Amino acid sequence: MNKPFSSHFWDGLASLKLTIVCLAALMVLVIGCTLAQVSLGTWGAVELYMRRFLVWWDLPGTHLSVPVFPGGALVGLVLMFNLVVAQVRRIELSWKKAGLWIVHAGLILLFVGEFITGVYQVDTRLAVEVGQTVDFVESPRENELALTDVTDPAHDDVYGVSERLLARGGQVAIPGTPVTLTVKRFFHNAQLATRRPSDPPAQATAGVGTGITVSELPPATGDDEVNRTTALIEPVAGGRSYGTWLVSNVLGAPQAFTHEGRTYKLELRPRRWYLPYSVTLKQFRHDVYAGTDIPKNFSSLVQLKDPARNEDREVLIYMNQPLRYDGKAFYQASFGKGDTLSVLQVVENPGWLLPYIACILVGLGLIVHFAIGLRRMVNRRRVAALEATT
Amino acid sequence: MATEGAARRGCGEALAVLLSRVLLRPTIPPSFYLLAASLLLTTGCRRDEVTHFRVAKPAAAPAPAMPAAAGGPMMGGAPPGMAGDVAPPPAPDGGLTWTLPKGWSEKKAGGMRYATFTPNVAGKIDGSVVVLPGPAGGELQNVNRWRNQIGLAPIDEGGLASARTVVKTKAGALSVYDFTSDGQVKSRVIAGLLEARGSTWFVKLSGDATAVATARADFLRLMESLRLE
Repeated sequence: MNKPFSSHFWDGLASLKLTIVCLAALMVLVIGCTLAQVSLGTWGAVELYMRRFLVWWDLPGTHLSVPVFPGGALVGLVLMFNLVVAQVRRIELSWKKAGLWIVHAGLILLFVGEFITGVYQVDTRLAVEVGQTVDFVESPRENELALTDVTDPAHDDVYGVSERLLARGGQVAIPGTPVTLTVKRFFHNAQLATRRPSDPPAQATAGVGTGITVSELPPATGDDEVNRTTALIEPVAGGRSYGTWLVSNVLGAPQAFTHEGRTYKLELRPRRWYLPYSVTLKQFRHDVYAGTDIPKNFSSLVQLKDPARNEDREVLIYMNQPLRYDGKAFYQASFGKGDTLSVLQVVENPGWLLPYIACILVGLGLIVHFAIGLRRMVNRRRVAALEATT
Repeated sequence: MATEGAARRGCGEALAVLLSRVLLRPTIPPSFYLLAASLLLTTGCRRDEVTHFRVAKPAAAPAPAMPAAAGGPMMGGAPPGMAGDVAPPPAPDGGLTWTLPKGWSEKKAGGMRYATFTPNVAGKIDGSVVVLPGPAGGELQNVNRWRNQIGLAPIDEGGLASARTVVKTKAGALSVYDFTSDGQVKSRVIAGLLEARGSTWFVKLSGDATAVATARADFLRLMESLRLE
């Protein structure tokens, strides 16, 4: 009698061959990703090969892309299902196999941890100078269009439109305001230059962009390169257009428009998240070994203030000793401005403990499996010795 | 301190519905789909959103943004390409010229700037000339932008008037500002702005306080020599 399709499906999903294929695919991805870092940079290569479900290839001379290989996300997902199904279907539920169950549980947890890290981890930075108080963190790689209502004398209403939304184009309604932004053009990277009399008319009709020409550039790939992200935005409020504005993260000039008595500032800047607490840098230390320029220690003495939790304390952040607060870890990462600027890397990862737990489980599982095997072998020898003597 | 709200687009929901249609099989428990849908709802388009924060007006200027270029661990010195450091010049009807102090070098129309000049002094120092159409955001905003670049708190109109020194040039009256930062290693910026022929010209010298102080006298002579072609 033929087996039903579902049975074939589950057998296939649990097969060791699928495990081998997935591991081989991962090896190919790792090699491809490593080589691609030369042209794409670390983040570009990881995004292209590891974070996606499919690896796409741009057909030369066309705007078409075709999938050429499963991406790291897909291989990882299949591998995890393979592991789970194999566990359930093949490994018997008995104390003899307890070690293998624990090892598999650890491996599954490792995959889950990577998934949670990939999806939920947010890497940001907090740059603060000595004596300054900062209550926001910024993305080192993503930008946003900040529309800030600066009318109120006591506070600002800051609306951040993510770079991804801008890249999609079209209209973006700003909730809580009468403003709708129409994204006319978006450039991941662009060269801005003085508009010469012989140049075509500027695409911007308002603000400083009227005197600037924009030429598109390929996205920056090196780890030490920065995209000059640029967009042409048309704010519309109450049915009235306020012209087309050029915004870019390399434009320093302030730009703003006023609608019905409310003034809105336009700025393209690193994506920012405000915190319900503040950090004041009291002291930054850059110690070196006596008589040399070799760094010995970097540390930031900060004052953490959180009125909502009655928190007001000094914290010393130094290498490998981060401040952990409100689900975030603040690591000492960089410095500048003649040792007066401290840059903290801020990592928020709800699954940060999972890899530790997974490794403990795998180690424990192997010990249990070894102990069970040892006990079985000792018993067998004892029985054999008993049989030999009787 | 800030309060947050967010308006998210519903592509997480759309993905959840699509998945449930493609994968729905009676043999798989409904709890699986609940879990998958909740994961998608919370993750799918988490980063594609319009965020809203209500923040108190800053008492002091915020710290300058760090670009990705500062990504290396413990790299010394200020990162290159800092946002807000340069502004774009449009094509003026007639250019601004000046007499370059002895020993200084100059490069015209380099990238975003109308001109860049380098004083002949030791230390980190940078001079620039930038031109923008119209009032370019106004004097107060631009002065506060310069103050922000060296970590100083913004000033109001009263503070602006007391900080301003007017230098008469053949191109018009140049409003000059001189600010030095706080901190262990001090930064300094000397900058002037003048309006001519519908554009605003910015002439700026910035860098380590000692280097700027050494070049200050020559820079003031350069500003006095400004004229329109």
